[in-house]
Amino acid sequence: MTRIGGFLTRVACCFILILVVFFGGGGDVFALTDEECLDCHGDKDFITEKDGETISLFIDMAMFGKTVHAENGCTSCHADAADGVDEHPVPLASVNCADCHDRVGEVYQNSDHGKAALDRDDELAPTCKDCHTKHNILPPTDKESSTYPLNIPFTCGRCHREGTEMTKTHDLNQHNVMKNYSMSIHGKGLFVDGLIVTAVCSTCHTAHNVLKASNPESSVNRNNIIETCNQCHVGIVDMFKNSVHSETVTRTGKRLPVCHDCHTSHTIADVKKKDFRLIIAEQCNNCHAHESETYLETYHGRASMLWGGEKTAKCSDCHGSHNIQPEEHQASMINDANIVETCSQCHAAANQSFTTYLPHATHSKKDKDRYPYLYYTFWAMTGLLVGTFAFFGLHTILWIPRGLIEKFKGSTGNKTE
Amino acid sequence: MDKNEPLYLERFSVFQRMTHLLVIVSFLTLAITGMALKFAMEDWAQWIAYFFGGFTVLGALHRFFAIVTFFYFFLTMIMLYTKWQESKKTLFGFIFDPEGLVPNLNDLNEFIATIKWFFGGPRPYYGHWTYWEKFDFMAVFWGIAVIGSSGLALWFPVGFSNLFPGYWLNIATIIHSDEALLAAGFIFTIHFYNTHLRPDKFPLDPVIFVGSITVDELKHERPREYDQLVASGELEKLVQRQAPAPWLKRMSLMFGLFVVSTGSILIVSIIVSMFSYIGKH
Repeated sequence: MTRIGGFLTRVACCFILILVVFFGGGGDVFALTDEECLDCHGDKDFITEKDGETISLFIDMAMFGKTVHAENGCTSCHADAADGVDEHPVPLASVNCADCHDRVGEVYQNSDHGKAALDRDDELAPTCKDCHTKHNILPPTDKESSTYPLNIPFTCGRCHREGTEMTKTHDLNQHNVMKNYSMSIHGKGLFVDGLIVTAVCSTCHTAHNVLKASNPESSVNRNNIIETCNQCHVGIVDMFKNSVHSETVTRTGKRLPVCHDCHTSHTIADVKKKDFRLIIAEQCNNCHAHESETYLETYHGRASMLWGGEKTAKCSDCHGSHNIQPEEHQASMINDANIVETCSQCHAAANQSFTTYLPHATHSKKDKDRYPYLYYTFWAMTGLLVGTFAFFGLHTILWIPRGLIEKFKGSTGNKTE
Repeated sequence: MDKNEPLYLERFSVFQRMTHLLVIVSFLTLAITGMALKFAMEDWAQWIAYFFGGFTVLGALHRFFAIVTFFYFFLTMIMLYTKWQESKKTLFGFIFDPEGLVPNLNDLNEFIATIKWFFGGPRPYYGHWTYWEKFDFMAVFWGIAVIGSSGLALWFPVGFSNLFPGYWLNIATIIHSDEALLAAGFIFTIHFYNTHLRPDKFPLDPVIFVGSITVDELKHERPREYDQLVASGELEKLVQRQAPAPWLKRMSLMFGLFVVSTGSILIVSIIVSMFSYIGKH
């Protein structure tokens, strides 16, 4: 008896379950179908007015069929439209993408964009649809997609272009980012060379986890920037990690440079071009002030300051860049073992004697003990200069009144006198 | 002869005038291109770089006019050699000719007389060359030797370092740059004043371009030379009624004023930059 009763109970349960699934959980089957939606929304002239603006309510199914959501029906996202029979309630609730895209939703929620939109109700803060569009969400590999690499700067630029409502009302650290980016080597890679592997906004700032650079969690914070650049510049980062500038090599309380300290961020330039070469000494000057100053006193440095002086030796030409090492290191470009070769890059047939030239020369009192011959030469020359001018200067000053008197006499008196 | 027409006497030969023209053009270009490098941090240096088309052009011009400088140095040596041959004197006698270009004891006396003149004494009894003119000439000699040799070292640094230690290039840089500052400073202030800007010549003494002066001027400015020429009877042979051609006078004035103004602007820029530098440090 118990066995039969148990069997019946199970059959009954299954039946109820099927009923529940059919009529309850699967309630859509009686709700609006895509065809029904398109009865209205398939009409190109279907419009409405909102705040005095005419808005098209037309959904291009040919387009939608190509999107990543093609398999989804209208009510997959617009769940609250499902209850309608002929019409749905107006307006529909905002679509919550995080219902499906929960992981991305969480990341976005904690990003500066997300916090602005959700916590601060910043009307200008972007939500999913602002970057991805509503019904035209194509895969990022599709050229038409708003998130295709070639289109990303324009997508971000809708708000981040200088002069938009957003840039005017928000306190941003960086300005002219779009213009600077398009002039940078990354921007030129994209716009001039058409490379989709070049860095676009989201490559460095991430797509959903956009945080201010001052935030330690940000991909562009100085704690993380090396790893961010490492996404593409693997060989450079490997080299850098072995250099004196890397915190894995140099243990110091002082701030060590990271990628953007030398290369900047949006204005990042081709290191072989003059835009970059002309600012190298300035960049190194941020930490190495005395070296930079004494370099600028030499021919190399002076020439660097003049228009067209990009060819003369810059810091990195002699010291290296990502592979930079202290002088005593065997691999250092200015180590005795390598310096002749380093100078030979420009000065063909350079020899050991030539390398005793002081590329950071100074005749200042501070360096008197290091370079006495420069100090005394400078002051001997200055003495000669001051002496000559003092003598002839006085001579001239005394001459002026006499000359004026003679001229005055000459113009009134006898000329041949 | 028309008594109203002034009498003229040649002071500088065509050869000398042409040499001085070379000196002007090369010295001015060397000073401009070199000072742009020395004062590269100043705006005016950047304007010079823009004007000439960049640092590379400045370097090329500087080296080209360095060659011109060595060339006129060579021309001057030839001229001196020719003069020596014509003078029929011994080499020593030619070099230390009392009326020659090498300063002597009489110049010291003239210098003292000049200082007295400044304070109201009589105008000194100047001859063919005054002591400040001799100094100008000797300074160019000295300058070319110092600036030229240090400049060659900097032009060919690797070659130079085969003969001398490489760090001597740093010394050569200081010498080249400061001696050039002295030369440019001297020419653009003292020489300009002594020759062109002094009240009786202002704004320009064109004699170095037109070549001749009037006998009246000679008598007033260089009485000893005048008296010597009268005594030897040579004055009669040398004077002529021919005034310098008007076009030559006009060209001289235009060119001379251009050069004097350019040099003056450069030296004022340098002085302002130097004082602002001293003020900052």
